Amino acid sequence: MATHRVRRSGLTMPVVTKRFVDNAWRRGCDFINLDLEDSVPPHLKAYARSLIQDAIPNVSKGGAEVFTRINHDYILADLEAIVWPGLSRVNYPKAEYGAEIRKLDEIITRLERERGIRPGTVEIGANIETAVGVANGYEIVSASPRVKDFGGASGYDMSRDLGVEMFVGFDQFVYGKGECELIARTLEVETRASPFVANTTGSVSDPNLAFRQAEAARKCGFRHGGGLNPAVVEPQNRGFTPSEEDVRDAHWVLEEYRQLAGSGDTWREVDGRIIDRYEAARARDTLEWASLCAERNRAKAEAVARVQAAMAEHTS
Amino acid sequence: MALLIRRSNLIVPITNPRFVSHAWRHNADAITLDLEDSVLDTRKAEARALVQEAIGQVGQGAAEVFVRVNKPVVHADIEASVWPGLHGVMLPGVETADEVAAAAELLTGMERQRGLAVGSLQLIILLESALGVWNIRSILTASRRVTQVGLDENDLACNLGISPLPEYDPYVYARGRLAIEATAANVQPVGIRYPLGTQLRLLSAADLHQMANDARNLGMKGVICPHPSWVEPVNRAFTPTADLVAYNKRVREVFAEAIASGTAAVPLDGRMIDVPVDEWAKVVIAMDEACSARDAEKKAALARLA
Repeated sequence: MATHRVRRSGLTMPVVTKRFVDNAWRRGCDFINLDLEDSVPPHLKAYARSLIQDAIPNVSKGGAEVFTRINHDYILADLEAIVWPGLSRVNYPKAEYGAEIRKLDEIITRLERERGIRPGTVEIGANIETAVGVANGYEIVSASPRVKDFGGASGYDMSRDLGVEMFVGFDQFVYGKGECELIARTLEVETRASPFVANTTGSVSDPNLAFRQAEAARKCGFRHGGGLNPAVVEPQNRGFTPSEEDVRDAHWVLEEYRQLAGSGDTWREVDGRIIDRYEAARARDTLEWASLCAERNRAKAEAVARVQAAMAEHTS
Repeated sequence: MALLIRRSNLIVPITNPRFVSHAWRHNADAITLDLEDSVLDTRKAEARALVQEAIGQVGQGAAEVFVRVNKPVVHADIEASVWPGLHGVMLPGVETADEVAAAAELLTGMERQRGLAVGSLQLIILLESALGVWNIRSILTASRRVTQVGLDENDLACNLGISPLPEYDPYVYARGRLAIEATAANVQPVGIRYPLGTQLRLLSAADLHQMANDARNLGMKGVICPHPSWVEPVNRAFTPTADLVAYNKRVREVFAEAIASGTAAVPLDGRMIDVPVDEWAKVVIAMDEACSARDAEKKAALARLA
């Protein structure tokens, strides 16, 4: 699986809450998702739009990518306000039809051209939050090459659509998540999903839960995180990054596999483990992902250091 | 659109006069007179002749009345079933949209013939085969009469060639597909949590309530009840509890205050309250009101009988 970007952690925040926006760069996120949708009250939508252009460089100065979540019902006004240099992705909530995605693509294409942004830069995140969205997933992903990953089909909106309570202790969304994963893999975009980890509290700020969820997701081959509370950023970064032990193990597997190459066998057993080309491929995948994560950590650390140096210079 | 409240649908073998005469006493939201699996092949004709009178009998407590027909003799069964007082037909073993369209057309003809409002009779679809589960989308959208859909898990097991083990649910995919596709088509998915759909056992009311509650949290909107003991715990499981209603009223208040103060995301008891949570609260409150209205309707009917 080709990995598009490293997006282990990210905070979704109302762009109208200045305190959140001003501190976003300090949080260590891989991305920041500036929200125009559910966390912004209706009477503040216009004001919120006016804040995005300045917020983009502000929240990204610690090395995070910048996304914006727009409103399902105001796509033109929202896109006009947000497609500026520095924006990586538009998150479109409650995606239900391919035609919606084509419309977004058309507007984004025009704005990229008008505003000197390299064509195709801005991705579309098609958020699946309804049964209709799951049912039409294939046409949604097929609608635009800007859709680079796909998943969802769980969470509050989905639970409302199905009429189920959240946090009941069993996986209510297994079919929808499975459908989305199959669609993503069939159409060769990244899959964005999470395995079921029992959670009956619904806490958005529990670091231990966040770590368990991230680690379980990584072990199932998923790499996308994100949340609402700064307390989950570090645990998500950690949970989605292969541990030192995982990296050591991957090197060991590859070494054993190299020794197998000359033997004429296709597999062998070492210390109760089967070493074969599947294990070797998994090990290479782990090492590749670990190195992408390390690179991302380095880039963010450098960005933060630059900001801090500039701040020190400013105060002295 | 008014919320359809059909939490419990009690199946009654029409050839058992005792069951038919007592059915109205169990407080089911709907009662389905069965011409299919619970009637011997040799008694099908006799069974059909009983429907007209039974409709009035089982409907006296304000339950909606349905008839489950036989797939091979849909025509004769529907002809014997469409009388004033009938709310619709339960169609078993559906595999294609054509079957639904054909049944809908039969209903239109009979509605005209017997002086019922055209289009008033509903369809409840039962899927009993892999083909039916696969074709669910075209089946549910074949007629606007379709209001509910469920799996017949015993027949489905036969079709799949499996003997289901109670500890491993073989219908995770089928039931998940049911919940998603039915919701997408604005049809209510119905069913009980596995393995109760395949293992007819008598459970305590508490266990039944738990199984029905789990079914609700898998997206089901009601349960087809093979035994009167299911009705009360099922009704209870699909009615929002007083605690849930109180909590969601609080959610609405807290969220309204947040909006007034300029934010649409506010913590409450460690959870984040935002638009979807508020929207969900509205659903719970509306559901509570609709359940109360339905219960009052049934209570009024019983009071008239007393």
